[in-house]
Amino acid sequence: MTLRFLCALGIALGLGFAMTRVSGAADMLHYPTQSAIAESSQLDIVGALDTPLIAPVLEDFHRLNPDISLNYHNLTTLEVYRTFMSGSDGSRADVVMSSAMPWQYQLANNGYAQPLGLDNAEQWPTWARWRQELFGITFEPVVIVYHKDLAERYGAIGSHAELVTLLEREREALTGRVVTYDPARSGAGYTYAVEEARLSPRYWELVAALGGVEADLVGTTQEMLDGLAVGRYLIGYNLLGSYAQGFVAKHPELEIVIPSDYALVMQRLAFLPRSADNPEAARRFFDYLLSEHGQRIISEQTPLGAVHPALKGPGSASALRERLGEALRPIRLGPGLLATLDKLKREALLARWHREFRRPATATNPPTPEETAP
Amino acid sequence: MSAQDSLYRRLLAWLLLPLLGLGALMLIQAYLGARDTADRAFDRLLEASSLAIAEQVKWQDEQLWLDLSPAALEMLATDAEERVFYALYNARGEFITGNANLPGLAMANGDEQALHYGNVTWNDQHLRLGIRETRLEGWSQRERFEVRVAHTREGRESLTLALFQGSLVRIAIMALLAACILVLTIRLALSPLTRLRRAIRERDPRTLAPLALNLPRELAELRETLNDLLARMRRVRANQERFIGDASHQLRTPLAGLSARAELALRQDDPALWREALQAMQATSASTARLAVQLLSMTRLNNPEASPELTPQDLNQVARTATLGALGACHREGIDLGVETSEEAILVPGVGWQLEECLANLIDNARRYGASQITVRVLANPPTLEVEDNGPGIPADLRLMVLRPFFRGQDSGEGSGLGLAIVDSIARAHHARLTLHEARQGSGLRVAIRFMGDRS
Repeated sequence: MTLRFLCALGIALGLGFAMTRVSGAADMLHYPTQSAIAESSQLDIVGALDTPLIAPVLEDFHRLNPDISLNYHNLTTLEVYRTFMSGSDGSRADVVMSSAMPWQYQLANNGYAQPLGLDNAEQWPTWARWRQELFGITFEPVVIVYHKDLAERYGAIGSHAELVTLLEREREALTGRVVTYDPARSGAGYTYAVEEARLSPRYWELVAALGGVEADLVGTTQEMLDGLAVGRYLIGYNLLGSYAQGFVAKHPELEIVIPSDYALVMQRLAFLPRSADNPEAARRFFDYLLSEHGQRIISEQTPLGAVHPALKGPGSASALRERLGEALRPIRLGPGLLATLDKLKREALLARWHREFRRPATATNPPTPEETAP
Repeated sequence: MSAQDSLYRRLLAWLLLPLLGLGALMLIQAYLGARDTADRAFDRLLEASSLAIAEQVKWQDEQLWLDLSPAALEMLATDAEERVFYALYNARGEFITGNANLPGLAMANGDEQALHYGNVTWNDQHLRLGIRETRLEGWSQRERFEVRVAHTREGRESLTLALFQGSLVRIAIMALLAACILVLTIRLALSPLTRLRRAIRERDPRTLAPLALNLPRELAELRETLNDLLARMRRVRANQERFIGDASHQLRTPLAGLSARAELALRQDDPALWREALQAMQATSASTARLAVQLLSMTRLNNPEASPELTPQDLNQVARTATLGALGACHREGIDLGVETSEEAILVPGVGWQLEECLANLIDNARRYGASQITVRVLANPPTLEVEDNGPGIPADLRLMVLRPFFRGQDSGEGSGLGLAIVDSIARAHHARLTLHEARQGSGLRVAIRFMGDRS
């Protein structure tokens, strides 16, 4: 009953969540057991992480553990959740990874994850784990990407405050040239909105400013990046850093910036389901993923940031912290995430968001009493 | 000494077992107390969280509306990273929002703002559930609603454990101290017993002097009992010594007479005198032999370890047999010996030959002290054997004295002085009382043996 209830809740809420997924990427990776090895085991990983990003990690793991036959299924975050809850995928997942933090937290909170009991897991930083069940394995800041033309014309953007100032000052010029997540359509966008609203009431100024320039609202980071690349947009706000980084490297006309006043940090959360068919293989994968070596692969060969505190180089959480200090705001891994999933909370926040977003349009007319009414 | 018979161990067991039980009760109490304390401490979180949620509940768009604050859930998490659940229900018990269909609690109506707590199992998880029943405080809307919050019990359990471990150490130390004190106290309390034992063991086996030992009251009673026993033993021994002295004296006199008579006869040459001497010596030795026999039976009767088995005896039969036995001697001396028996058989437990000996002694005594008429009588109620004579009798003040061995009413006659003493001993062995009275008629003596043991 509970399961069905959660499913229904998930579908009801999830309809609004557009998924972060790069189109055209292969949906599945398979690493077979080497024929020489007699004893082998299976490992099914379900993740919302595009195959080019995760491939270096899986390849390295497979090189170290050739006896494990590895399957990686790339799904959208909603598909990850639905597949997991229905359990009808045929082969049940042994590792579930997703960037939809509230969903992952909800599953762990309801007891679908099992404790790992690994040394690496015990030593994992407390801010990046919940119990011994849910682990933040990456460290991905949310960034602003802008066209270099913009910097030439109006100066660089380094922070949210500068962005608000710029949007308000150059309202005419930037109308239609700014893009951000639609919180109503994108789960990630909605999560960021909740977190940013929690951080500061000035967030609503930013929303109003975005409304002022009639910013385009889209569903994925990739859409924003594509629009920036073709020059349709000058500023993209709240892009997922891990995707943007690789894209910007290939598009020198774009500039990526981690805001210096505050920067949300998203983490991919992974857990070992209680229903796993191959818990031992899954534990080996976690042992690898949470080890210094595995994290080094993540930091050096993928744009995903590494969490392991021993890593200090570029692409690690420590390096980012050193550079940005207090400004980094990792999304807290705690029961607060459950509030994000609350149906009424979502309606309330979206209502407020759209009200603020439309405020500049109504404000051009003489102020009306309705403005204060809901 | 086996374990059961040790007073020390018995005391220790009977004191330590209740102590252990008490300790177990205290442990249970400590655990329940610790759990209660932990629950109360953590229930504050449920209270605060449900209040924070309830304050966010509004009426909007014709329905209950909640803008859930993440902090309200964060505060439920605790250090133990509890799993957290919440739900909002309206007055009709319909689910409005939340992350779990939390069950309700059966609760008493009445206090409106109260918070109700309960332990529930939801989805295989043991949860502590807090339910706040309240209503909107709007101008027009007074809709009732319920906020249910729950979290897992890990934090409570670890706090309970920590509190309980503290009590455990305290209780263990107290139990240890109590046990030590108990052992010492018992040792101390039982030490007079050891002193008593040592005092008895160290005594000369020949001394019968009373124990002079300072003892606590309970043991002083024991000491007094022991001293009583010792005093009785002293009296018994004095009696025995006097008896032995008397007996040797009694045997020495006829033996000395025999010796003197033989010596006297040897100085003569006349065979007629020898014959006369030999006849006298025969009479003396016969009476000495009788004395020895009486001494023997007296010793046997007085030996408490050799008590023959008592069988039912008909007193009529006993009286007749004894009379028949004495008839010859009496007839020679012209004494009138009669027997008066009861019509029905009177049965008492006893030894036949002893009772007959008894009567024979009494008849003999009467005969020797010059009675001319002796009556043996059997009385039914209480069963009594009586021997009455018409002799000189015994003055009342001497009647107790004559029961002692070797005491004679007058220092004349040929009696051994053992007759009545033997009768007395036999009477005692039969739980009967020997009494001396005046004869019913005239001046004689009436000796009665009244059997009590059977009926008393």
